[in-house]
Amino acid sequence: MNVLEIQGLTKKFGNFVAVDNMTLNVKEGEIFGFLGSNGAGKSTTINMISSLLQPSAGEIRILGKDSRKHSRHAKTNLGIVPQDLAIYDDMTAYENVAFFAGLYGLRGKLLKERTEEALEFVGLGDRAKSRPSTFSGGMKRRLNIACAIAHKPSLIIMDEPTVGIDPQSRNYILESVKKLNESGCTVIYTSHYMEEVEEICSRVAIVDHGKIIADGTKEQLKAIITDVKDLSIELKPGSAYSLQSIGKIPGVRAVNEKEGRLSIQSDAAVDNLNRILKSLMDGGAEVKALQEEEPNLETVFLTLTGRSLRDQ
Amino acid sequence: MWRDIWWVAVHTLKNTFRKRSSLLVYVGLPIIGVIGSIMLYGSAGQQVLRVGIANEDGSAVIAADTAAYVSSLQHVKTTLLSREELKKKLASADLDSGLILEKGYSDSMAAGKPEGIAIQSVKGQTVTAYIKGMLNAYLDNTAAISRAAGGDRAAFDKLYADYRGGGFKLETQQVADTSLTKAMSVQSIGFLILFMMTAAVNLSEIILKSREDRTYYRILSSPISARSYVLANVLVNIAVMVVQVAVALVALRYVFGVDPGLPIVQLGGMLILFALVSVSLSLVIVAFSKNSAVSGAMSNFIITPSCLLAGCFFPISIMPDTIRKIGDFMPQRWVLQSIDELQTGDTSRISINLAVLAAFALVFFLVAAYKFGRNNDTKTFV
Repeated sequence: MNVLEIQGLTKKFGNFVAVDNMTLNVKEGEIFGFLGSNGAGKSTTINMISSLLQPSAGEIRILGKDSRKHSRHAKTNLGIVPQDLAIYDDMTAYENVAFFAGLYGLRGKLLKERTEEALEFVGLGDRAKSRPSTFSGGMKRRLNIACAIAHKPSLIIMDEPTVGIDPQSRNYILESVKKLNESGCTVIYTSHYMEEVEEICSRVAIVDHGKIIADGTKEQLKAIITDVKDLSIELKPGSAYSLQSIGKIPGVRAVNEKEGRLSIQSDAAVDNLNRILKSLMDGGAEVKALQEEEPNLETVFLTLTGRSLRDQ
Repeated sequence: MWRDIWWVAVHTLKNTFRKRSSLLVYVGLPIIGVIGSIMLYGSAGQQVLRVGIANEDGSAVIAADTAAYVSSLQHVKTTLLSREELKKKLASADLDSGLILEKGYSDSMAAGKPEGIAIQSVKGQTVTAYIKGMLNAYLDNTAAISRAAGGDRAAFDKLYADYRGGGFKLETQQVADTSLTKAMSVQSIGFLILFMMTAAVNLSEIILKSREDRTYYRILSSPISARSYVLANVLVNIAVMVVQVAVALVALRYVFGVDPGLPIVQLGGMLILFALVSVSLSLVIVAFSKNSAVSGAMSNFIITPSCLLAGCFFPISIMPDTIRKIGDFMPQRWVLQSIDELQTGDTSRISINLAVLAAFALVFFLVAAYKFGRNNDTKTFV
């Protein structure tokens, strides 16, 4: 069953087309990765799904119902974790969660139970009476999540929920997303951290210039780029070589160097490994290790859009 | 929908009054306004004039009677002293004015040619006018006796003795002067109007502030609509206004004992109608502001000058005609005018005044609703 169905979705701001005839389905039980560089149309799409923006054209159906005609039904079944923290600093963690849960109609005993449950879920049960102003960045992010899940939505949209937090909090949040999913919640997850998407998402869509340019499981996406191979060559310290001469070898598409390690992207069909090694050794470099890397989402994104996601 | 509105309104109220300073701003300031206007008007009309008398005419009867007469006047405190002392005390402002009765003053009075009487003051006519006015009455009587005696000193003495013994006495009676308390209450309401308008903008600014801290968009992604959110804010705003009006009127009437000159319920009703005007104007300000800094600047630009022109700070009667005409375009003017008319018992124009106030509120609400509706975009507004 599709939790979210998007058909021909378009949003124009004057002459600028932010989202261009987008069609997309998210199935129940998925953790759906939504990848795109800044300005790709990701946030505009999320704003339309969460009814903050009216589409110029197209249709959004949540749990089978048109989100415009059945706005309350759509909103009640959605949980939004916005990229910018949306919490009240002068209210306690408990009051924050209870207020947002109350917006979804929860009252009385149920409200209390769900609020406590949500705070426990994000690991803030013991800080319920503290104000967010005393929290670390990671704790605030977790509170932001608690505010979105207390009403037990069917679909949760998380927009960059791990921006600017420490690795421990990030791991906690990623584990929380997995647990939410295990409990039956469908999740749409956007992130600039490709390894996060790779770790938790079961399906990924890549958005560029308002259009979905690829959509599928991680394996399906990686299979798109079978014509490219990635070589990683570790050199002994002090090795001399010429990036320029490697770049001129037939089949080599790109060469990068970082901390004594060369990353070379090359045409899979061209057998040029010997020539690359020869070029290095002719220059006096000593090869310490060589590995052909498995393609990852970063490579897929780079190949499809021509840009690195984090460099946007 | 109303359940949602109530939830947001209660949250907004709790959040606003979580800070103790909000209590001072929304409840304390109107009381301070009442105290301010009482202090401003409290001293008027009850001033005591300190008058020094230098009687150089010795024990002459008329000079002694003149001094006694001045001493008997209400709101006058007299001191007998020499001319030199009088000058010193006037210069050092220990006295407000001085009365000098020179040698021969009594004889000149008896002769019907009053001479040798002088009033001195460094404060001018404001303090001498009252004494002069009262003394003239006394001197006119004495001069009339002199004319009746026809220059005959013995006849004058006899007539004057009869006049004194005839029980001539100046009887004064305190007439209740309500103009002062009425003016005081109008000015108190003027200050209350200022505080109501400022409070309304502060409360409406919560909408802008929630947009700045992003909670607005989070709320709008829940089943609450933008319209419900704004309505909840209006509800909170009106509730606070009603409390402000009630507190200020109770303080004015029952704590400070100032009679506004019209039934307190009528006054309260009119101010609650004005509360709608304040709230609707604050929504217009917020609708046209991109952020809370802009709305703060805009409210400063609109509220204080319009209160000034409408006569909230001082009576409109002292303003030039042109300013008065401009003041008619300010909603505050119509409240103050209504109060003024109800105080004088003239109710013929009250319904028009109230209709004008209601029209102001309606127009402001419509303008705000139009502007909110035009900003149908997350990047701009509702």
